[in-house]
Order: sequence, then C-alpha cells, then structure tokens
Amino acid sequence: MTKFSDKDVLLEIRDLKIEGYSDETWVPIIKGVDLTLHRGEVMGLIGESGAGKSTIGAAAMGYARDGTRISDGSIEFDGMELTTATESERRALRGSRIAYVAQSAAASFNPAHKIIDQHTEAPVHYRIQKRMEAQEDAMELYERLRLPNPQEIGFRYPHQVSGGQLQRAMTAMAMACRPDLIIFDEPTTALDVTTQIEVLAAIRDIVDQFNTAAIYITHDLAVVAQMADTIKVLLRGEEVEEAPTEQMLDNPQEDYTKSLWAVRSFQRPQKSRPTDGTLPVISVKNVDAAYTGGVKVLDDVSFDVYPGMTVAVVGESGSGKSTTARVITGLLPPSSGEVLFKGEPLPPRYQDRKRDQLRQAQMIYQMADTALNPKVRINEIIGRPAQFYSGLRGQALKQRVDELLDLIELEPAKFYNRYPPELSGGQKQRIGIARALAAEPDFIICDEVTSALDQLVAEGILKLLDRLQKELGLAYMFITHDLATVRSIADEVVVMQNGKVVEQGPKEEMFTPPHHPYTDLLLSSVPEMDPNWLTTLLEERGVDNIGDAADV
Amino acid sequence: MSIFVIGYYAALIAASCLAAYYKKHGAFMLLFSLTLVSFIIGIIGGVPALRAVTTFAGALALAAGTSYAFKEFLILISKPALAKELRTAPLTASFGMFVIFTYAIAAIFAPWIAPHGESEVISSAFAPPDENMLLGADQLGRDIFSRIIYGARNSVGLALVATLLAFFMGAFAGLMAAVKGGWFDQLMGRLADVIMSIPSLIFALLMLSIFGTNLGVIVIVVAVIYSPRVFRLTRAVAGNIVVMDYIEAAKLRGEGDWYLIRREILPNSTAPLVAEFGLEFCFVFLLIAGLSFLGLGIQPPTADWGSMVRENATLISFGDITPLIPAAAIALLTVAVNFVVDWMLFRSSGLKEQ
Repeated sequence: MTKFSDKDVLLEIRDLKIEGYSDETWVPIIKGVDLTLHRGEVMGLIGESGAGKSTIGAAAMGYARDGTRISDGSIEFDGMELTTATESERRALRGSRIAYVAQSAAASFNPAHKIIDQHTEAPVHYRIQKRMEAQEDAMELYERLRLPNPQEIGFRYPHQVSGGQLQRAMTAMAMACRPDLIIFDEPTTALDVTTQIEVLAAIRDIVDQFNTAAIYITHDLAVVAQMADTIKVLLRGEEVEEAPTEQMLDNPQEDYTKSLWAVRSFQRPQKSRPTDGTLPVISVKNVDAAYTGGVKVLDDVSFDVYPGMTVAVVGESGSGKSTTARVITGLLPPSSGEVLFKGEPLPPRYQDRKRDQLRQAQMIYQMADTALNPKVRINEIIGRPAQFYSGLRGQALKQRVDELLDLIELEPAKFYNRYPPELSGGQKQRIGIARALAAEPDFIICDEVTSALDQLVAEGILKLLDRLQKELGLAYMFITHDLATVRSIADEVVVMQNGKVVEQGPKEEMFTPPHHPYTDLLLSSVPEMDPNWLTTLLEERGVDNIGDAADV
Repeated sequence: MSIFVIGYYAALIAASCLAAYYKKHGAFMLLFSLTLVSFIIGIIGGVPALRAVTTFAGALALAAGTSYAFKEFLILISKPALAKELRTAPLTASFGMFVIFTYAIAAIFAPWIAPHGESEVISSAFAPPDENMLLGADQLGRDIFSRIIYGARNSVGLALVATLLAFFMGAFAGLMAAVKGGWFDQLMGRLADVIMSIPSLIFALLMLSIFGTNLGVIVIVVAVIYSPRVFRLTRAVAGNIVVMDYIEAAKLRGEGDWYLIRREILPNSTAPLVAEFGLEFCFVFLLIAGLSFLGLGIQPPTADWGSMVRENATLISFGDITPLIPAAAIALLTVAVNFVVDWMLFRSSGLKEQ
C-alpha cells in the first residue's frame, strides 16, 4: 500500500481502548483505534482537541496519563507487548528506544539544570555512552539541528535560549539514544510561524538522517502535510480515516476530513475607510510604552481604527501587539503619545476613565478558560456589564441576557444557569464575546481569540464576529499571529516587529508584493497544504542560513 | 483451650479463606497476617491479649459501621448536589463528621443531657464512679460526666468564636492586600510578620496577664495571634486569582474592590479557606485548652476540658485515668476535625485516585 509496507513493523496498536476517570466513573476516551507504524515511517495524527491524539501518543510508549487507564487492546512495540509488560520493562524502553518531544519545551526542561546535562542524562543512565562521548554527540546533534554555537549552547540554562532553539534542543535530546520511535506532541504549536519553520525543517532532517519512525501529533493540517508519510484523522477517540499524505490531501474520503480541509474557506469582502470625514473610533498616536524600569516595548506606534472596520495587528510574540492593547485599555499608561476615542483623548490610566469611556472599549481574551470566572453563572457573567453600565434590573436584565445569548447563537434556556467549566472551548469564547457585547461598545479588542481553538470552531467564531460587526457596526482590533485569520476577516493590517509598526495598509495591498522584508518573512512562513511547500521554501531561502533566521 | 480461642482462630481463618476465594487480595493479606500475628500474641499474652485484640477490632468495626451509616444518612437527607459531594467522602471523613455532630449535640443540649449541674457539688472529692455518677467526681465532688458535657459548650464554643474572628480579620486583610497591592500589602504583610515572630503561647500569656482573663479578652487575643496565618494563606490564594483575565476584565469594567472580592475572588478561594478553617480551629482549640490548663483561660467554676485536666491531674499518680478523659475529648475532636479537613483538602487540591 505504501512505500513502507515492505519494511518491518515497529509499532502495532490493535483495538486500543483507553478510559478516563471523571465524575466518579470511567468514561471511554479512545474507542478502539488501530495503528501500524513501520520503521522509518512518519505518521501524522490529526484531529480536534479531545480527539485523543495525545492519549494515543502516550499509549504508544505504554503509558497512561494520571486519571486514565488502558482498558483493552494491545500495543506491540518491536515484538514486545507493552500492555502486559512490567513497569520497569516499559521504563527501560522510554528515553532509549522511544522518545517523546512535548509541546512546550520551556515547561518540559528543568530550569535548574543546564541543557546538556539534561541531554546526557538518558545515554549515561542507559550506559549507551560515557558522559564525555554523550556531550560530544550532543554538540554534533545541535550542529545538525542548526542551532547557533553548537559547542557552547548546551552549557546554557533553558531560560537563556529562545523558544524555537529550546524546542530544537529538545528534539536533539530525544535523539540522544538514537531511538527507534519518537513521539512529537504538537512540537510547534506554541511557536511563531517564523520559528516554526526552523523547528519543522530540523525535525524533518533529523528523522530522515537517522531513519527514525515518528508519530507526529498536531491539529495543523498544513504542518502535518510537510512532515508525515501517512496521515490518520481522529475524531472523538475514533479513527476517521488513514491514507498516505498525498492521497489524503488530494482525495479525502470522509465528510469530516473534507470539512477539515475546507476550513479557512471563509472570506469576506474588504471594506475601505469611510471618506465622509468620520473620525476613527480609536486612534493610537505616537505611543511609546515600557514596563516599569524596562526597555521600551512600544516605539512610536500609530494607527487608526475606523467604525465598522477590522484592523488586524500581526507580528511574532514579543512584537508588542498585546502591549498595544494594554495601552488602549489603560492597563499600561504610555510613557508618551496618546489614545484618542472619536477624537477625544482618553485618560491614560483606566482608573481615571469614566464609566462610559470604559464601556466603549471592550476586550475578548485569548484564553476563555481564564477570562471567565469558573464560579460565576453564565447569566451573571453576561448580565453584570448590562447591569453595571445600563442599570438594568430584574426582568429587563433577564431579557437582555437572553437577547445576548441569542446573538451569540447559544440557546438561552440551556445556558442561562450554567457555569463556564461545563462549556466547551468554543462556547466559552462565545460567552466572552457576549460579555463584551453586553456593554454595548463601539470598539472591541480581540486578543488572539481563535488561537486556542480548533480550526472548525475558530471558523465559527470568526463568522460570528463578522455577523455581529455587520449587525451592530462594531470596530475590531484583531490581534493575531495567524495570517490565515487575517486573510479571512481583516480590512486593514498593521504589521509590528520589536515594538514598531513596520508596515500598515489595506489588506489586499498588504498581501500583494512588494512587501517590507519582515512582512515577506511572515507571509512566506505560513505553512501551506502542499506537501512540498517546506522543501521549496527551504530551497528558496537557502538551506544553510535557515537556522539563523530564527534568531533575527 | 477455651471456646473463645477456638472461635477466634476459626473466624479469622474462615474470613481469610473467604477473602482469598473472592480475590480480595488486600483484605486477605490483612486477615491472614492478623492470624499469624495472633499465634504469637496468643502464646505470649494468652487469652486476655486475644480478647484485647478482639475488643479493638470490634471497636474499629463499630466506628466504621457508624461512620458508614452516618454517611448514608447524610446523603439521604441532603440536597442532590451536596449528596454527590458526600458520596466521595472516605470513612474517616464521615467518622469525623459523626464525632463533630455528636459534640455539637452535646454542646447545644448540655443542660438537658447532663444529669447534674455544671458546678453542683453532689458528693465527696474524687468519689469513684457509681450508678449516680458515670465517671466519678472531681476534686470538689462535682460530676465529671456533667462537666465534660458542659465543657463541650464552653471550650468548643469559645474556640469557634475565636477562630471565626481570626478568620474574618485575616481573610479580609488578605483579600484587601491582594486586590490593593502596593503599600497596603506591604503594611499588612509586615504587621503579620511582627505578630508571627512572637511565640504564640508567650504572647497570649503576656496579653492575658495585662488585660485580665475575661472571655472577651481571650477571644480577641487568640484571634489576633491566629489571624496572620489566615492572612498569609488568603493573600497567597487571592494573589493567584487576581492575575486572571476575568479579574482584569472586571477591573476594566470599572468594578470596585468590594465587588472584586465578593463576587470574583471569594467564590474561587473558598475551598482552601474552608480547609484552613478546620486546621486553625484545631490549633485555636489546643491553645485555649493549653491556656486553661495553665490557669489563664476559662476561669472556674465554668467547666472546661483544659482546666479539668489540670484540676484532676493529681489522680494520675494513683493510676486513675479520669484526668485523661477530658484530654481524650480534646484529642478526639481534633482528630475528627482533621479527618474532615483532609477530605476537603483532597477535594480542593484536585488530586484524584489513580
């Protein structure tokens, strides 16, 4: 069937069932999944959150996370049955023959030890190499992964290197014992697009060079298209379909897969600024800002947001996007410059703003989990702003909450009395939107509202935001690092880098060349569905300097 | 060999076999090791030792049975949401709840339960137990059983009031410090440091000898001593909550500090605070008992467990366990409260069985 069919089977999972403990009962998480992985094969596992990708990844090491148990099925790794093996037998495999690369390298490295000490731990423990050999081997791996200063970088502590470098160092660490199988659990999800490329290229090279088999877990189709030989699509703990990458991309069989592929088709026509002399809703004028005693985070930032329009602010993490939002809301008073609301200057500190000024600018947060108080009922979360600003009481308030719930397409009767933890991620984000709307604002800051959501859900949120904009004439400032989102919803784009605005203008203009070099770098780094995209891009950019690009 | 010994081993072995047959490995190991240990105990201690083991096991089984029944009772009479929580309670926690419940009944209905008055002299000093006095008389000839019943009211009531006061002061200061931050936070923090830097018993003795030993002073002094601990915990818990986005959203909405504390922070910090309340209650209770033992707490003739231990302490040298009974009452309540608190801490920490 595939080019790997004639090779040895490395990992064979048969009818795997995993259960999780919640609310005092065991509920099935994985409902019978089969998986066959040959030597040297890279399999991509994709699906929404909750599909059981990571659980299967952990099960491939014979490991069930806390609160879960493998209830049925078999996991055979190179002829060894992991479900019946003893814990010490399984532990002997991990690190030496099966390695794991976690999503957040920053959270997975021990901050108290140097990177190379953590790297050499496994080979020395398994008596594969002596410590000095292991160190030299580590440096060689760092060089292959194109980390800058391979001789020296390992002797730094984890917080002294950047996120992308750390993720590559973790990949190197996984390679330390030359395992037969590596499990990559969303290794690039937390990284910026520009950094993601370096990590992707590095992972692909090293997997090729050592002919290692890998399970690559991600929810990003474009990424999996670059990495995997075969793709398996999961939905709620069940397999939807599996096929070689190219076949899967060209000709998906199942409806669910097709819907995943079709995501991002949402586009809306670009609007242009009003020409009749309407003042911008929010106008940021020459703002400089710094956190206490630190260096400037924002440097001469200026842009306007006109009524009924969406301005997308894009840039890598650390470029000052969210800080700009904090300046507008008044959480961080600017050190110079000002923020105008319909021509009127806003007091720099939110404490000094009038209630009506606070009402006009609302915010929707990235993490709906932390943005909604878990111990407060939905009706109060949404009702409080309406009560606070408009003084609604009793029946009128209840009616307003129902109205808002209708607006965000959640059934009032069902959600009125529930608590946030009982809702799904997309529903929570909708509640966040409703809370912002309850204040009847003119301007809403959307801080990465879709980045924590699955693609299908994110698209629903974008459509909702678009509909609300049409109905209520809202202006949005859309902070994002995801250019696909920009493409679908923005009217104007502001590109930020290191606290400065490097380029701004209408969307169509921004997406047509010539670009500012930084915009170009951002745009070309967005993964595409074409399986050859990464190869082509690396050739264009010149493979040798790719490792350095991340450090710019 | 008496029938008792034969029955004893027969029962143990039969129970072990049943456990093994039904694949209850834990129970089997327990029962069978008890059988093996009993051989040795039987050889060394003879029949009385075996009887002691039986009594102990019986008491344990009785406690377990009572706890289980009490838990089922609570589940049946409480609302569905609460009943679901209660269902997760281990036997130790329901034992704790049962003991607290019993103490509460004793304290509330003391005048009706106690056969004699609190300070009523009804017999000669140190009279042994008879059909009139369950536990005998104390050094003035008052009924010890009645005094223990009344003591539940005084000792527990006082400790409860002092803990509540400590809690309100500490929690309020902690919440305000977390919300306001800045100089207020610093001021309260240093104040708490100063109070905590003085050994609590010495501080209490000092204050009580200055201000006299009436009940109001005891409550305030004990509350001041214990409020810094509550302050620290509350501030730490609230400190983790004030950085959440929903607090930022509420602040940007223009909400005042009081709303933030009441509606946003408190509902998210009740679990650790309630658990802390249980622990603090034990400490306060022990401190008050200690003060009473030293003669600076509740003053005679009011019945109090701490002072009862002191008053009857001389009996210990004659091999009489009477003074240990109020001490046991203190210990039992402390253990019971801790059982309940352990369960609550377990729930609030989100730890789950593997």
